[in-house]
Amino acid sequence: MPREWLSATGEIGRFTGSIVRDVWGLRVFRFFGEALRQSGILIISSAAVIWALMFVLALTCGIEGAYFGISLGAPTVAGQFAAWCDLREVIPYAFGYMMAAKVGTGIVAELGAMRISEEIDALEVMGINSVTFLCATRLLAAWLVLPFMYLIGIGGAFLASYIAVVQQVGAVSSGGFLLLFWQFQNPPDFLYSLIKAMVMATAIVLVGCYYGYNASGGPVGVGRATAKSMVLNLILIHLIGMLGTQVFWGANPRAPIGG
Amino acid sequence: MVRSAAERAFLPTRNLLEEVGDMMILTGKTIWSALRPPYPYGGELVSQFLFTLRLCWFPLLVSTVAINYGAPGLQAANGLQIFGALDRLGGFFVLAAVREIGPNVTAIVLAGVAGTAITADLGARKIREELDALQVLGVDPVKNLVVPRFLALMVVTGLFDVYALLFGIFGGIIAAIVSGQPLGPFWATFFANASTTDLWGSVLKATAFGAIIAIVCCYKGMTASGGAEGVGRAVNQAVVVTVLAIFAFNYVFTQTLLATHPNILVIK
Repeated sequence: MPREWLSATGEIGRFTGSIVRDVWGLRVFRFFGEALRQSGILIISSAAVIWALMFVLALTCGIEGAYFGISLGAPTVAGQFAAWCDLREVIPYAFGYMMAAKVGTGIVAELGAMRISEEIDALEVMGINSVTFLCATRLLAAWLVLPFMYLIGIGGAFLASYIAVVQQVGAVSSGGFLLLFWQFQNPPDFLYSLIKAMVMATAIVLVGCYYGYNASGGPVGVGRATAKSMVLNLILIHLIGMLGTQVFWGANPRAPIGG
Repeated sequence: MVRSAAERAFLPTRNLLEEVGDMMILTGKTIWSALRPPYPYGGELVSQFLFTLRLCWFPLLVSTVAINYGAPGLQAANGLQIFGALDRLGGFFVLAAVREIGPNVTAIVLAGVAGTAITADLGARKIREELDALQVLGVDPVKNLVVPRFLALMVVTGLFDVYALLFGIFGGIIAAIVSGQPLGPFWATFFANASTTDLWGSVLKATAFGAIIAIVCCYKGMTASGGAEGVGRAVNQAVVVTVLAIFAFNYVFTQTLLATHPNILVIK
């Protein structure tokens, strides 16, 4: 078992390495039109659900924070709770979950179907480098679009926390909430959160490309590859989230409190 | 012109509502045929249960330890350390790990791992027309395929929730040790604040998540169409709908639980 895992890890590493090299070496710009088309598909088909999940999870963050603040006897603490809960942890996880669910499995299903119906082989016969054309363009599209999508999602999530704490539970005034909410975050936090989410997104797109490109075994195989990609994606999301927290906030809480 | 514009706007909405309605009908049918004799689904129930168990235990272990070490562990320990109140980390874990993260991560992992496997399996059977063949043979697919998955996932999600709590608290312990704190105060505040309501709320929530996962994934698998691409697309849609449904339900459930049980909010 461990030997299989090791060889599979090696395979994934080699494959994803070649995709990243294609983007890094600018070979992908031969198919820039395709990358733009993938960006468009990403925006139209995935943006709304990703924002929806970020919004819902931030609502949950808000009510947990609001009731936690009430139980402390200091309802304003909800501002701090929501700021850390949203920006540092829950928004990146929500983004990662929905990326894996919508975009990751979508890529596997699409590329898997192309592999099964031998379209990828047809591309190779036509002299087009299929890894560059199919996988590298998707990675470039993700890098082009997702940072902006994520930033808009953060806005929606902040609004959700505000609605949950101030409008719904209503134990803290709007000013009291916003004061602590903005004091407990700063631009570097924002950047770290973005980095965390983008590393997750890159991992998800690469895993999706690997499982889709190497699918085999007919319609059943495509379904199975899609399911398998989710396992790896979930493990990677949680590990990246943990490492990100450890690296960015592990040694320094970055809180406006003297000590 | 107006008519076509209206159709373009309303057709997706109508399809969505129809799909939700179909899932509700499937839920009703599943519960009805689970209760009504005969009960031919015992063997399938056990095999699905073991299948899910084998598939999910490792991703769930890694996920819960990682997320609980990072999110509530490190962040809360950092915050509490400023106030010199690191012993309160245990109490915070009742809120974070037991009430929220345990059931949610269990649901995400089961949806992603077991749910996708169910959709892929049923979708493949649908594409190969095995489901139609079953019906021709007089075997009811709901009773023999959906009911065992529904029950197995409900039981397994509830049980896995306890497992997720144990490993989640293990992640918290690692965070406490990393912060250089003895474990005595962690356990003291944890057990002082833990309540039975928190535990049954957590397990009940996870069980409901299991039901959602099973219904959505079975529905999407049984309505797959269009060859190889169709199965992949069904799995994709199934996992998206499940994740959204889980968190929407979680929001309503958390709000209801917190508002109706003020005793779990008291910090001891």
